[in-house]
Amino acid sequence: MIERCSRLARILQVEIPVLVIVLFALAPYAWMVITSFKPNEEIAQWPVAYWPSEGTLKHYRDLLARTTFAGNLLNSFIVAVGAVAVGLLVSVPAAYAFSRFRFPGRRWLMVQFLVVNMFPIVLIIIPLFVLMRSLGLLDTFIGVIAGHSTFAIPFSVWMMTSYMNAIPTELDEAAIMDGASRLQTIRLVILPLVMPGIVTTGIYIFVTSWNEYLFAMMLSGQNVRTVTVALQLFIGEFTVQWGLLTAGGTLVAIPVTILFLLVQRRLVSGLTAGAVKS
Amino acid sequence: MASVEIRDVRKAFGATQVIHGVSIDIADGEFVILVGPSGCGKSTLLRMVAGLENVTGGEIRIGDRVVNDVPPKERDIAMVFQNYALYPHMTVADNMAFSLKLRNAPKSEIEQRVKKAADILGLGHLLDRYPRQLSGGQRQRVAMGRAIVRDPQVFLFDEPLSNLDAKLRVQMRTEIKELHQRLRTTTVYVTHDQIEAMTMADKIVVMHDGIVEQMGAPLELYDRPANMFVAGFIGSPAMNFIKGSIKVNGKAVFKAEGGLELPLATAPAGADGRPAVYGIRPEHFVIDAQNGIPAEVVVVEPTGSETQVFAKLGGQDIVGVFRERVTVGPGDTIPLAPNPELVHLFDAQTGKRL
Repeated sequence: MIERCSRLARILQVEIPVLVIVLFALAPYAWMVITSFKPNEEIAQWPVAYWPSEGTLKHYRDLLARTTFAGNLLNSFIVAVGAVAVGLLVSVPAAYAFSRFRFPGRRWLMVQFLVVNMFPIVLIIIPLFVLMRSLGLLDTFIGVIAGHSTFAIPFSVWMMTSYMNAIPTELDEAAIMDGASRLQTIRLVILPLVMPGIVTTGIYIFVTSWNEYLFAMMLSGQNVRTVTVALQLFIGEFTVQWGLLTAGGTLVAIPVTILFLLVQRRLVSGLTAGAVKS
Repeated sequence: MASVEIRDVRKAFGATQVIHGVSIDIADGEFVILVGPSGCGKSTLLRMVAGLENVTGGEIRIGDRVVNDVPPKERDIAMVFQNYALYPHMTVADNMAFSLKLRNAPKSEIEQRVKKAADILGLGHLLDRYPRQLSGGQRQRVAMGRAIVRDPQVFLFDEPLSNLDAKLRVQMRTEIKELHQRLRTTTVYVTHDQIEAMTMADKIVVMHDGIVEQMGAPLELYDRPANMFVAGFIGSPAMNFIKGSIKVNGKAVFKAEGGLELPLATAPAGADGRPAVYGIRPEHFVIDAQNGIPAEVVVVEPTGSETQVFAKLGGQDIVGVFRERVTVGPGDTIPLAPNPELVHLFDAQTGKRL
């Protein structure tokens, strides 16, 4: 009896609300994917056609053959991979230092990294635009990568620091007693153990950069236009090219979705099990 | 192998000084145990010998070399950590071989040394396992194996047994002692457990609040503690302390607060009327119907091999330990006679041995 009451309570208090939230979150994506397979006539049809009478790949074909979208995808990929490389190169050593060394200003710097995240990026974008222009980096990969790295790095440092903190310092000390230099300790002991954290942080930076719109729009032009900017061009003043827009949106969402599924699996990791007595 | 010499070593973290000038001589091949309550500075001292902490003042020598500014890797010492600190992503064999690989030792030598260490510690069948697949005792053995393969000048142990359960701790205690008898490597071992110190050490260094209270052979510390701290720290259950003063009236006696008279074999010259503390170990009481002082039993704790009796002796809480079976219960009166030959007298102010 008690069991049935609590089961009912669970359904009412947990399962139904969760279901509603999931539906609310997923519905636009589902609608996007469905629309991308509809023939043009059905997209604007009234009353609404929920399911395409006949699925078509026309929008995808048009998108890849008649627009620059394939090139934009490549641009986005280059920018995101570049941002991951720069971001990890900076945040992993920084996180090691924050985690292992006690230097003056350590706490203050960590707090600044959080404070930076609280500024609206609109505040940063105009000075950054002027800076990039005077450096001649507008509409170059380096410029966009630098822009994306700047706002990914602070949070990445926080993420990596907490992963590093989870690794007991005795392991560093044991390696040092075994005769390892500081760099050998990092390379042979710390990096292998923190790898799940590096992968997760890398994916975080990739996804952030891949989805980013404002920096990409301001800092890029014809040459390195990313998908987020390109998608926006399908929305005209008087018409919206729904077919191309939804097909593009679907293509953009695929890599991000796959990466998220990967992170989800890597996040649950017992790699440090057995290192020390907990 | 080498001797270790610690000369007037000090350590401060910022403005707080935690070690106030400690000097210890450790002979080649000696097994020295630093023991003391937590926060006494014993682990910090060990980490300074290891090179994991800077030396604020004084000098540490390993062999003939002052190592104050020598990085840990060049000190040729190995350390076993309290929580094992095994590399979780490496097999047992790789854990043990790590230091040799860093030194670019030839592969055949690495294999041979790892095998030898594994044989000594009975780890032969576990070489391909990962640390997470091992029990606590096995992990501790791997940590020791990692130290042994290097054949270092000095072994350092930082509370290596405190994470193990009681039974395993006793077993590993014997193993470590046996290992030392076999390898004869100079060893510095830190623990808060005085039984570990008593059973394993050639020499015990009792530390308290950043200074050395006393050092010497285990039984020397037990028989002639230099002060009340050492007297109370070494021995379990702890020594009974009774406040009062010495009276010499032909025969020396100790007059406890509350009027009780306790026997003394001798008294220091000119000690008549001097306030002092009377120290008697629980095992140095005998039950003596003729000369015993009646004490009221509060709690009786039989352990099988011995019986601990907590009692009130002239208003003071004391504990006695008896090898024979004692058949008393709470509320009973038991005649207790301290063995006057084995009584310790301490100065009431300084706590120093009289």
